[in-house]
Amino acid sequence: MSSKPVIIAQITDLHIKAPGELAYGKVDTAQALARCIAELNAFEPRPDLVVISGDLVDTPTSEEYEHLWRLLSPLTIPFVAVPGNHDSREMMRAAFADRAYAHSSGALDQARPLGPLDIVALDSHVTGKPHGLLEPATLAWLDATLTSSSTRPALVFLHHPPFRTGIEHMDVQDLFNADELADIIRRHPRVRLVAAGHVHRATLTTFAGTAATICPAPNHAVDLDLGALRVPSFRVEPPAFHLHVWFPGDDGGRLVTHHVPIGDFDGPHPFFGSDGKLL
Amino acid sequence: MTTAHGASVHIQNCGKTFADGTQALAPASLDIVSGETLVLLGPSGCGKTTMLRIIAGLETPDAGGRVLFDSTDMTAVPIEQRHVGMVFQSYALFPNMTVADNIGYGLKIRGVPKAERAARIAEMVALTNIGGLENRRIDQLSGGQRQRVALARAVAVRPRVLLLDEPLTALDASLRDRLRCELNRLLRELGITAIYVTHDQAEAMELGDRIVVMRKGAIAQIGTPREVYFAPQNRFVAEFVGAANIVEGPVASGRLTLSGGWLALDGAGDQPKAVAMIRPETIGIVTEGDAFWRGTVDSVSFIGDRQRIVVSGAADKPLTVDASNRINVRAGERVGLSVEPDAVRVLPGEA
Repeated sequence: MSSKPVIIAQITDLHIKAPGELAYGKVDTAQALARCIAELNAFEPRPDLVVISGDLVDTPTSEEYEHLWRLLSPLTIPFVAVPGNHDSREMMRAAFADRAYAHSSGALDQARPLGPLDIVALDSHVTGKPHGLLEPATLAWLDATLTSSSTRPALVFLHHPPFRTGIEHMDVQDLFNADELADIIRRHPRVRLVAAGHVHRATLTTFAGTAATICPAPNHAVDLDLGALRVPSFRVEPPAFHLHVWFPGDDGGRLVTHHVPIGDFDGPHPFFGSDGKLL
Repeated sequence: MTTAHGASVHIQNCGKTFADGTQALAPASLDIVSGETLVLLGPSGCGKTTMLRIIAGLETPDAGGRVLFDSTDMTAVPIEQRHVGMVFQSYALFPNMTVADNIGYGLKIRGVPKAERAARIAEMVALTNIGGLENRRIDQLSGGQRQRVALARAVAVRPRVLLLDEPLTALDASLRDRLRCELNRLLRELGITAIYVTHDQAEAMELGDRIVVMRKGAIAQIGTPREVYFAPQNRFVAEFVGAANIVEGPVASGRLTLSGGWLALDGAGDQPKAVAMIRPETIGIVTEGDAFWRGTVDSVSFIGDRQRIVVSGAADKPLTVDASNRINVRAGERVGLSVEPDAVRVLPGEA
């Protein structure tokens, strides 16, 4: 087995509107995504896969999905996408018809082998509701999919976090059947990460005995209000995405997640001069 | 119109074993000619959908299996790069977009210029018989119309292979018959490589250049509709494809002896206990005195275009005979039966 790292970029909560429209009247989500994609395309070494963990569009409408398609078309890296609460399964199936969906109707669950890894993307969308739920068919499929190997490390992606963040107005709309997900994850120690979106902030915790993260968004962030002090709000914080890097190894391998801010930052500047001494 | 013949498809040693050890598909090989319509036919759980999913890239075959389009190995190529068109029972259309925009969607996102797009949409509309509906929204269409649009959308981008998974199953019977007939014409006109999954043998007969009959994760027979119908290689195929009388008796000197008499066979070797298939429409009702094979009419059902007559005492079990709607027989009547030697198919290895 090759010892080359496997790089998965996770982007999330794109909230693409019809061309010219701003999210919440303020945020140009299309421009934010375009910048994010330019950064992904320029990143070296090239990521092996992009996972988009939900809320691809905002309302949702077919016009938004068409706009999304145009914005994604410059992306030179293959991608896997699952819906969030702002999406429509039906429209996503129409927009991305040629995808490896596990079921021919209903939830848009997908699994994809990626070198030594298995990438499993779950659909937690509930029609017309902001919270998330994994349907019985999804849970059964997840269990069966994870059973297909006991050794290959697996990364599980979904939109709704299966844990609280302390931001109350988001926590009331997280994954409602996190316990059922936890039962399955616990049975399959090969799951090395449960990665979500939805909250537009980077967080890190553990869940069912494995690492769990929320990926930040390329646009706006949910206000970090841990005391329900303010009305639900957002801030335009530095946009970012996650790079999950798998380092294969005889010790069973290791996953490292990097938080990558999006923007034109000064650098890179060398630490050392031509004489080899620290500058 | 332009025809895109599509790729030839080669399935080499593709099996699928699930984690719990169940084998959904035993390693199978299959070659599909460019432009051919191949039907995967069988009951649920026979492996036909697994085979289709492997071809599409929705499922990875077990180690050692390979899928080739023409001479390119596609086994590790993800579905979105295989350039396959897919039509399922569910439609995958934008509900609030017009028919024309749905058909043109795949072209638009691939950057096909507007004029060329309009021409292709018009061509697809004509081909799928949905003229006049171009500006309707999908949620204003019937199920049959939606399935036509789904088909038009799938072929508009000229896929290398068109994959259809029970596309007519959700429709009511009369609509299904009509669409089947249209689909047949459309597949011939397009000349596209198509792989069609169904559990409906009439659909398979009408649409397939060849039929792959599957059972319990394995291929039971591959052949043209005529071969599969007239020369089934085993009892399962005989009974699954069309109606069949399966009779048992000894074969000696070119004759099959049954309880009601004997039948001449076309070149069958002697065996003490042969199993043979006789299609109901190949059995004739004749006067008793003229026949070497006889029985008693159990029941007569007048169906319109024919009569279904059940005859007992002729073989080890009651025989079904599809007779002309003109002959006049009654339950309880003794009748003679006739069948041409080449209509009696001794099934190999079934005894």
